[in-house]
Amino acid sequence: MSLLELRDVEVEYRRVGQTPLRAVAGASLSVDAGQVVGLVGETGCGKSTLARAAVGLQATTAGTVLFEDRKVSPLGRRARSRKEARLQMVFQNPFSSLNPRRKVGDQIADSMAILGLVPPGKRRERVAQLLDQVGLPANAAERFPHQYSGGQRQRIAIARALAAEPSVIVLDEPLSSLDASAQAQVANLLKGLARDLRLGLLLISHDLAIVRHIADVVAVMYLGLVVETAPTRRLWKAPMHPYTEALMEAIPRADGSGWLPEGLPGEVPDPAHPPDGCRFHPRCPYAFDRCLSESPPLIQVRDGRTVACWLHAAGAEERSPSTFAKRASAVADQVDRV
Amino acid sequence: MNALLSVTGLCVRLPTSAGLVTVVDSLDYEVETGQVFGIAGESGSGKTISVLALLGLLPEGAQVEGTAMFDGRDLLGLDRRSLRDVRGAEIAMVFQDPMTSLHPMMTIGRQLTEHVRYHLGFSAAKARERATELLHQVRIPGPESALAAYPHQFSGGMRQRIAIAIALACRPRVLIADEPTTALDVTVQAGILRLLDGLRRQSGLSVLMITHDLGVMSSIADWLTVMYAGRVVESGSTREVLGHPRHPYTAGLLAALPRPEAAEDTPLRSIKGSPPAPQARPDGCAFHPRCQYARPSCLVDVPALAGIGDRRRLACPVDPLAVPV
Repeated sequence: MSLLELRDVEVEYRRVGQTPLRAVAGASLSVDAGQVVGLVGETGCGKSTLARAAVGLQATTAGTVLFEDRKVSPLGRRARSRKEARLQMVFQNPFSSLNPRRKVGDQIADSMAILGLVPPGKRRERVAQLLDQVGLPANAAERFPHQYSGGQRQRIAIARALAAEPSVIVLDEPLSSLDASAQAQVANLLKGLARDLRLGLLLISHDLAIVRHIADVVAVMYLGLVVETAPTRRLWKAPMHPYTEALMEAIPRADGSGWLPEGLPGEVPDPAHPPDGCRFHPRCPYAFDRCLSESPPLIQVRDGRTVACWLHAAGAEERSPSTFAKRASAVADQVDRV
Repeated sequence: MNALLSVTGLCVRLPTSAGLVTVVDSLDYEVETGQVFGIAGESGSGKTISVLALLGLLPEGAQVEGTAMFDGRDLLGLDRRSLRDVRGAEIAMVFQDPMTSLHPMMTIGRQLTEHVRYHLGFSAAKARERATELLHQVRIPGPESALAAYPHQFSGGMRQRIAIAIALACRPRVLIADEPTTALDVTVQAGILRLLDGLRRQSGLSVLMITHDLGVMSSIADWLTVMYAGRVVESGSTREVLGHPRHPYTAGLLAALPRPEAAEDTPLRSIKGSPPAPQARPDGCAFHPRCQYARPSCLVDVPALAGIGDRRRLACPVDPLAVPV
């Protein structure tokens, strides 16, 4: 049993005078202890909504969210119990998620007091320990957030989440507001925390390249659905969903070669009116008849990999769509010659 | 050298509560016709301020020194009126966030025609024709109906395309693009980069590209200058600077980047510490507290930017990454 488990989660936003918008249309994923799960996808694919649903900040319309075998209930007026607080969240922008008027140490100590985790006399010591864990000096406790850079503030936000003694932290784009060098520092910190504290991390990001360095497992989301999950290395070696392949080809390379990344034609469709059949088919270079009418289910391929694409059958080999296409065109060439 | 825009000795001081603070210090560069010139650096390195200075868009009380020769005129010496004629017409700018750079309450058509009528004196009908043509050029589907729409009706990528169309409306010779793809997804970013690349190839547009993203620079910039704490640390052709970085800062930034082309399990090596705030820049080489190669002299002497061949320049007397001959 995984620490955090989302099964067929659906989230629908009701809108006045308009059709409801299904931001998440049946997504499943799980996070184990010590495991970093990366959830990637473009703007508007529903990844942040899914993250919020995972911690109970957003009510689900269908499906279940289980944390340590208990159902996660939507956040209400009632305080969260110590057990429920073992599921924490870190937000994208540390400039707005930290209170500018309170000292760093006081903000970190909040959950210790509220949850009764650390007696008052020992809190200073625990704050210093947490600051050290995220790579900040102990005197940071007496200072204010504005005295720190973006990367350092994100460390403070992480220390604050750690204060609740979590087993799982959901992080919504924790790296995207940071500069390259700070991004690498925080990425390495997260990787280390997962390993040393046996923390489960659900990392939401639009950046597949950075996720590759941190995540053990990657889930790719498109228009409210998880379309592919795989161990990171294998996903990188052979992306099986055409969308994953397109995401990878769009990443620029900082090698000075002048290589122009490949864009994906079209736009993410309006989630209120998703296309029939496979939701990706209008943008997919490999789409065929079946994709236009039938929605592909998420199927198990090889060990631990799942994909929702008609190009692949259950238990199939790991092959990228482009290798199929190359093979198909090679076959076509031969046929032409005959 | 037939430089279209030639900036020499640009220094910018901005007023703060602690008095005037030097944000950009002796910046030199040249942008040639039809080429993309990149200024890279992390936030606070002064890259944006350095281009805002060219267009006279700095806050009240800012002090600017140096020259910026554009087509025989010094932009830094122009009066407000003459500068207004250059700005938006001959030199146009695209900003990072198309959500804030476009006016939310004005139709796309109005935003696309207003400055065309002002700068080029077009009639309403002719300006509209030009607007349709522009939207077509930046590949907005249904340009006619898009003219009557408002910015919120478009996605982020579409909005940035519209912002580019507005910038191109008066056929500028230089387009300043400040982090034009940073707010966008990689799939959309790739489309914008291809659009900019096509524009400079087809119409000889010069692009002054500002971004912290070295991947973006690599794909589009011909020439690259890397800034740190208001000064240039290294410059040259993009191929050379990114392929064989010579300054420890450039090399550090590249090592910190997640590289899609890198081998499996390549660790991200971060540069220790963080960039200094403009009012607290260290003496000597501003990078010395973070540099593993720093020598005692680096703490005292400001390194001069010196030519190292192939139109490359480097501000590091230690030059630890030089290839031994």
